[in-house]
Amino acid sequence: MAEGARKTVSPFVRMACGGLSARCTLCRSASADRSHPALSYTWDMKTGRLIAAAWLCLFTAVAVPQAQKPAIAAEKPAEKPASQAADTTATATPKAPAASPDERAPDEATPAGEGVDAAAVDADIAAQELSGEAQVRLDAARDAVVQIRGFFDSSESSAFHGSGFAVKDGRRIVTNYHVVALAVLFPRKYRLEYLASDGRTGPLHVLAIDVRNDLAIVAADDLKLPVLNLWSEIPAQGERAWSIGFPLDLGLTITEGVANGLVENSIGQRIHYTGAINAGMSGGPALDRRGRVYGVNVSVVTERQLVGFVVPAKHVAALLARAKEPLDRAYSAQQLRQRVTAQVIAYEAEILEAPQDAVGTQQMRGYTLPTQLSRYVECSTIDEKSPHVRVRVEAIRCRIPSGIVAQPGLYVAGLSIQHRLLQSLGMHPLQFERQVNKLAAAPRRAGSAAHVAPFACSNALVSLDGFDARISTCVRQYRLLNGLYDFDVTVVEIDDTSEALVSRLALQGVAFEAGRQIMERYLGGLQWKP
Amino acid sequence: MLVEQLGPHAHSVLRQRFEGAGAECRIGRDLGCDIVLDDEHAAAQHALLTLLEDGRVRVQDLGTRNGTRLGGKRIPAESGTIVEQAEIIVGTTRIRIRTRLAALGPERLFRRDYVRRHRTPLATAGVMACLAFGIFLQWLDAPSPLLPGLTKGALVALGVIAVWTAAWTLMAKLNRGTWNVRVHTTIASMGAAFCAWGYWVAGLVAFAVQWSFLVRVGSVVVALVVLAAIYLHLREATYYGRRIALALAGAMTLVIGITAWLVEIGVDQGDVNRMTLGPDVRLGTARVVPNRDIDDYLAEVDELRIAAARERQRSLLVAPLVDAED
Repeated sequence: MAEGARKTVSPFVRMACGGLSARCTLCRSASADRSHPALSYTWDMKTGRLIAAAWLCLFTAVAVPQAQKPAIAAEKPAEKPASQAADTTATATPKAPAASPDERAPDEATPAGEGVDAAAVDADIAAQELSGEAQVRLDAARDAVVQIRGFFDSSESSAFHGSGFAVKDGRRIVTNYHVVALAVLFPRKYRLEYLASDGRTGPLHVLAIDVRNDLAIVAADDLKLPVLNLWSEIPAQGERAWSIGFPLDLGLTITEGVANGLVENSIGQRIHYTGAINAGMSGGPALDRRGRVYGVNVSVVTERQLVGFVVPAKHVAALLARAKEPLDRAYSAQQLRQRVTAQVIAYEAEILEAPQDAVGTQQMRGYTLPTQLSRYVECSTIDEKSPHVRVRVEAIRCRIPSGIVAQPGLYVAGLSIQHRLLQSLGMHPLQFERQVNKLAAAPRRAGSAAHVAPFACSNALVSLDGFDARISTCVRQYRLLNGLYDFDVTVVEIDDTSEALVSRLALQGVAFEAGRQIMERYLGGLQWKP
Repeated sequence: MLVEQLGPHAHSVLRQRFEGAGAECRIGRDLGCDIVLDDEHAAAQHALLTLLEDGRVRVQDLGTRNGTRLGGKRIPAESGTIVEQAEIIVGTTRIRIRTRLAALGPERLFRRDYVRRHRTPLATAGVMACLAFGIFLQWLDAPSPLLPGLTKGALVALGVIAVWTAAWTLMAKLNRGTWNVRVHTTIASMGAAFCAWGYWVAGLVAFAVQWSFLVRVGSVVVALVVLAAIYLHLREATYYGRRIALALAGAMTLVIGITAWLVEIGVDQGDVNRMTLGPDVRLGTARVVPNRDIDDYLAEVDELRIAAARERQRSLLVAPLVDAED
């Protein structure tokens, strides 16, 4: 109950008062030495800060809805002189849970309407309320969830780790492909182990992988666990949900959040989950409010806060059908890499497939610029920062908004196009030329030497539809996944001394033929008409 | 006979003439010698030169520990050896002997030293050319405000020339006793201006003929200019002969070239994100080669598959995969 009640307090109040109690600890140590003359000034400073923090706490608290008053009342005594406040705040936290259920904010976590009458909804909310439900969920799932750990060579300490959970007959464990990727790609160098809730450990083998949906099925010979039930539907938007896993190797953890439905326009289907999914929770189960597994956690995108993604459970069923025998026994490392490569190529082929009708284009000052090279491409006209005050830049940037992990650390996002039209504002042609060259040659690729080989380039002056351009094409191969290429095509229009088009097509992780075809589609789409 | 003591750069530091048959010249550290050496490897009485009746010279070693050398061989102590003209080594000092019998070659033709005669206008012109390039380079970037930017370009150009010239004039002062400021300024500034403008023009031409290799040819030309400049500096500032000066200049050019290569290219040679886009584009300029057809170009792109595969092989050789040994 204590945990639950604390949650009703707004994060602001918690932050301010958390800071306050931290400061009080400082005060206490300072007041012990108060007799020391040298310390008296410091002590005064700290008292000032304490009072300021207390005021901040009070202020924030006033701003939050009435319903949370009890929590504030508990924190209020902090305004007293430091020596007393220190003692009071120390006990403030246990007092906080004074919040009673009927005083809670009614707008919290309303499940999407399912046509149920109000009373039922209320009961449902009550059932979902903070409370110990997370604890119940965790206890129910505890035995089905294992930590998956990867070891390099004969090393005793793990090189990477993630989570997984048992399904079907209890002998199949579902996890993310990126969790086990190293063991798939380097079967002689990396091995997998599970760590069950009862402390058992043992070797794991990969049975099937789905690079596109970032899923993998693993199994251990001697392991049979209680199972979690898969639910192949998507939770309604706004429905409360939980994610379980081993974040940052901290032990089994459950986080609470809200399922937000399928991500719009996503090729590889993902359910958007607003809640913490941290590294290490990958592969763990995502539970809906009835405790069914609606998906598998994915924590790849790290630079966002509390925006997590979950792979829908329906993809697991298809993969389970394919899981027969351990891959590393059936195939050589070379063959495994070929399988991964083939899956990446199949994915790319689908997302880069030419649209049914003609390639979508956009107009810009007489130029026709190809944008919709495939139907998944999204474009935005951006107000790009100009490289120089006397150069005006208009830009269209297009990309495919999702990608897959082909290999740990190698995120393959398919395609991006950048059209930039530069206009000279009274610059000398030589000066303008310099700006054009600088922009065209600006470094832009972020590839790691561990994953890709250097580029091979060729360039020429080519007559395109309506204008002449210098085209530079650079191609590089992936080191491990033989058969995947990166393309980078830079087109610089060279006819005019006061206006220049700098356009760029970048492809990631495509087969050579596919890349060349898209390049042809792209170059064919560029056009200028006065 | 004429006896000359030679300095480290083979120029004579002391010369003395002896006439009449039987004339003797003693060489050693002793003050009683005709040629007194300040050489710790020479004996007090080291060598004896005697002018014979037929005009030739007998060279004798006076029984020293280090001996006297002629053409790399020790001269026998008792009998000595008879020469018409020779260069002997006493201790570590070189002594040149010449007699009337030695044939003289024709006089060297006097060539007017153009640079030395016109050193003032040449130095001025060179410095101006460098200044112009520094300012031009800054102007290309269209700095705003303009004036401080251009001043910076001019100051950098002047500074580079000044430092380089100062080093060589100091060397000239130490070696030859004269500063020769204008001559060194001429060599430095002319060389620098030629490199800078030449390289820029090479870029223009490279785009016009679409020959990326031309930029590399430009680098070779720049290297040759640097070599010539250092050679001329060495000849002006030291007593080194042609061959030694050339060898030194070559070595210095090599060092400069390797350093520049390491800084400019070598560092990011292994960079997997590095793309070579070809010669910089020149907007709206005349071009020598006709444009390519798009299909023609795409056919060329097909060849990149092989080139990329080669890059991958090379990359795997340099940094093998984790399980490469399997």
